[in-house]
Amino acid sequence: MKEDPNEEPYIEVNSIEESNMANESRRNFLRGLSLLVGGTVATALVSGNSIAVAMEHSLKPVTVGSDLLSDGKVFPLSQLKQLKDICAIVIPKTDTLGAAEVNTHGFIDNQLFHCYGKAKQTKMKQLLTLINDVAKNNFSLSFTELSQAQQFKVLTELDQGKANFDKKQRADFKALKQLICFGYYTSEVGASQELRYLAVPGGYKGSIPYKESDASWGSQGLYY
Amino acid sequence: MTENLYINNTKEVYDAIVIGSGISGGWAAKEFCERGLKTLMIERGRVVEHRKDYIGENKAPWQQPLRTKVDNLLVKEQHQIQQQCYAFTDATKHFFGNDKDLPYTTEKGTNFTWIRANQLGGKSLLWHRQSYRLGEYDFNANKGDGFGNDWPIRSEDIEKWYSHVEKHAGISGSLDNLENLPDGEFLPPFEMNSPEKALQAKFAELYPQRPLIMGRTAHLTKPTKLHLSQGRVKCQARNECHAGCSFGGYFSTQSSTLPAAAATNNLHIAPNSVVHSLIYDEKTNRVKGVRVIDNDDLTEREYFAKVVFVCASTIGSTQILMNSTSKKFPNGIANSSGVLGHYLMDHNYNAGASGDIEGFEDEIDRGRRPTGLMMPNFYYKPDASRNFLRGYALAGSAYREGWQSLQHQDGLGADYKNKLRQAGKWRFGLYAQGEMLPRFENQMRFHPTLKDKWGMPQIEFDCQFSDNETNMMIDAAEQAEKMLKAVGLKNVSSQVMNGPPGLAIHELGTARMGRDPKNSILNAYNQSHDIPNLFVTDGASFCSSAVQNPSLTFMALTVRAVDYCVKEMNAKRI
Repeated sequence: MKEDPNEEPYIEVNSIEESNMANESRRNFLRGLSLLVGGTVATALVSGNSIAVAMEHSLKPVTVGSDLLSDGKVFPLSQLKQLKDICAIVIPKTDTLGAAEVNTHGFIDNQLFHCYGKAKQTKMKQLLTLINDVAKNNFSLSFTELSQAQQFKVLTELDQGKANFDKKQRADFKALKQLICFGYYTSEVGASQELRYLAVPGGYKGSIPYKESDASWGSQGLYY
Repeated sequence: MTENLYINNTKEVYDAIVIGSGISGGWAAKEFCERGLKTLMIERGRVVEHRKDYIGENKAPWQQPLRTKVDNLLVKEQHQIQQQCYAFTDATKHFFGNDKDLPYTTEKGTNFTWIRANQLGGKSLLWHRQSYRLGEYDFNANKGDGFGNDWPIRSEDIEKWYSHVEKHAGISGSLDNLENLPDGEFLPPFEMNSPEKALQAKFAELYPQRPLIMGRTAHLTKPTKLHLSQGRVKCQARNECHAGCSFGGYFSTQSSTLPAAAATNNLHIAPNSVVHSLIYDEKTNRVKGVRVIDNDDLTEREYFAKVVFVCASTIGSTQILMNSTSKKFPNGIANSSGVLGHYLMDHNYNAGASGDIEGFEDEIDRGRRPTGLMMPNFYYKPDASRNFLRGYALAGSAYREGWQSLQHQDGLGADYKNKLRQAGKWRFGLYAQGEMLPRFENQMRFHPTLKDKWGMPQIEFDCQFSDNETNMMIDAAEQAEKMLKAVGLKNVSSQVMNGPPGLAIHELGTARMGRDPKNSILNAYNQSHDIPNLFVTDGASFCSSAVQNPSLTFMALTVRAVDYCVKEMNAKRI
């Protein structure tokens, strides 16, 4: 076949731009794909290949402990409640939902169980115990009974390794913050509402305008 | 396409058997089929169909139960080795081998990471797609300093075959007119972002001998009619390639060579067929076919052909040759020289440097570019004043930090959340890809007793980086740090690491080409010196690693070998 790259039209796919469409990213992806590849394949796509099947039966996010009625896989119920409060302090609800509202505590419990070893699980449990002990010593209340301002104060001290906390404990809290951030910014709300998620960018542009009020990409840095 | 593309048992004597379905095997099959030869492609693993079997494709992280990560238990049971690969994620894990079934050992005090992709398409599904020609200095390197044997080919022998594969596969890149990195038949390059353009200009000013170019990569930036006819469209810049790409945005067996081969009606594929050994006829001194163990039920069967192309990956191909013993070849078929298994190489990624770029706060890039920038090897001319031989390339990209970097700062609450919402500062790094010398002592051999579940002797690796590679990495870190500081980056830091060979996944050598049958396995056409109808065209045939990513050269060597083989068959010399 004769080739002349200059003469050939090529197909542009409109990117799935707006973040509130990210929920439908997969469906849009399939729709875009059928436009591109034509009828035969499109038929195959809706008649039971793996992609379509995977879409229909898309694995539900694990929601262990979201109702907070029972123990998690790693944390007992009391610590799950405490972790939920910590999530709410670290990444609160603003214009968008915060870490607690999207069940980041449940995510962390599940993730620690499946993707981390006993040592890390134990360290995180001990950290929660430590936070609770400090709350009791300073306020004679458990952490979950503190006001939000008091919770914020305790965690800020821990985050900076000050007052009741040392450097090692500070490092452990940074590790917990990493889990909270990972859970939140890979959640649908975090990645596609708080940040901007491009499922199918359609191509690479080296430069577009950016101002401080713009959200960063929630679809960057997750792949290879 | 043939009605029954996939076969199991057959008495047919094919014109050609191709062992392997990865980058090399896919090309061999396509070229044979298009020349009218009845071809059987043998694949040890399962069938992976384009689109249909890309089960991890385009799933947002929240649609994955562990948000891209893989369950500990699965890793522990099946992927202890494979999980070391950067591309091993929940969306790709099914394209990596099960380590439990694929055991190997390493000589005491050494280490080697062997990444496996045993399915139709092989590592063409998982590769990083960087595509570079070898240059004249690369083909001359062994001859120049005496490490390894002389490549039996030079640029002029292979350049038209590079062109041939580039046009079909679709390689994006810029024409850079460099002395030792030949240009090719390129689709337009990916764009640079603004800091990258600025750095490129600064490098040109301060280091005119060290240009920074856009990485050349097997992605359709602007598909031709040929690509569209393959059912492929423009790369969408998702950079989730390793999960499979239904757009056919990058070259793989499934997206490119397999449809072309199947369209001829000359192709059959025997999946789930673990090649045990080649069947050798001493009387005619020809290979007659292959012995296969069924991947699933371990039964045996045989396939026959007039010629056999071994394209089973560097280690895989040599393992098959070593296991094909006879009275004439007690130490492995085609091994009269005794060098089979030796001169194993990889690339060395053990150095890099990075820093902050000031400015450019009012812009950001958009989309996930599946390639970075590349500073080609600037040490391609031998120079005795350096404390190492050969050289390295440097690669990297400029990007704005996101929450992954910003999360480490102190802070809580709405203020912290708002900081993580914004894009951070621009960063840039340069990371080395160094040449590894061909050394006789770096080798793969059979473990004296251990076998795998198919009865194949297990591989034992005895392969290490030498002082030459270590000195090179120290230099790479120093040079990268020095250059990044010179072009104005801040907070520059560099590091030298100590990773073992294997993880670059550029295994090369072990059945090398050469001019002299006494010290090489293959001739200048990847044909066995000993047996005329036996060819090995993958990375096993390399005489030196050079600095460039090798896959494009696998393709070019393969199509050149097929062209030669068919001519020899027509002339009745095979």
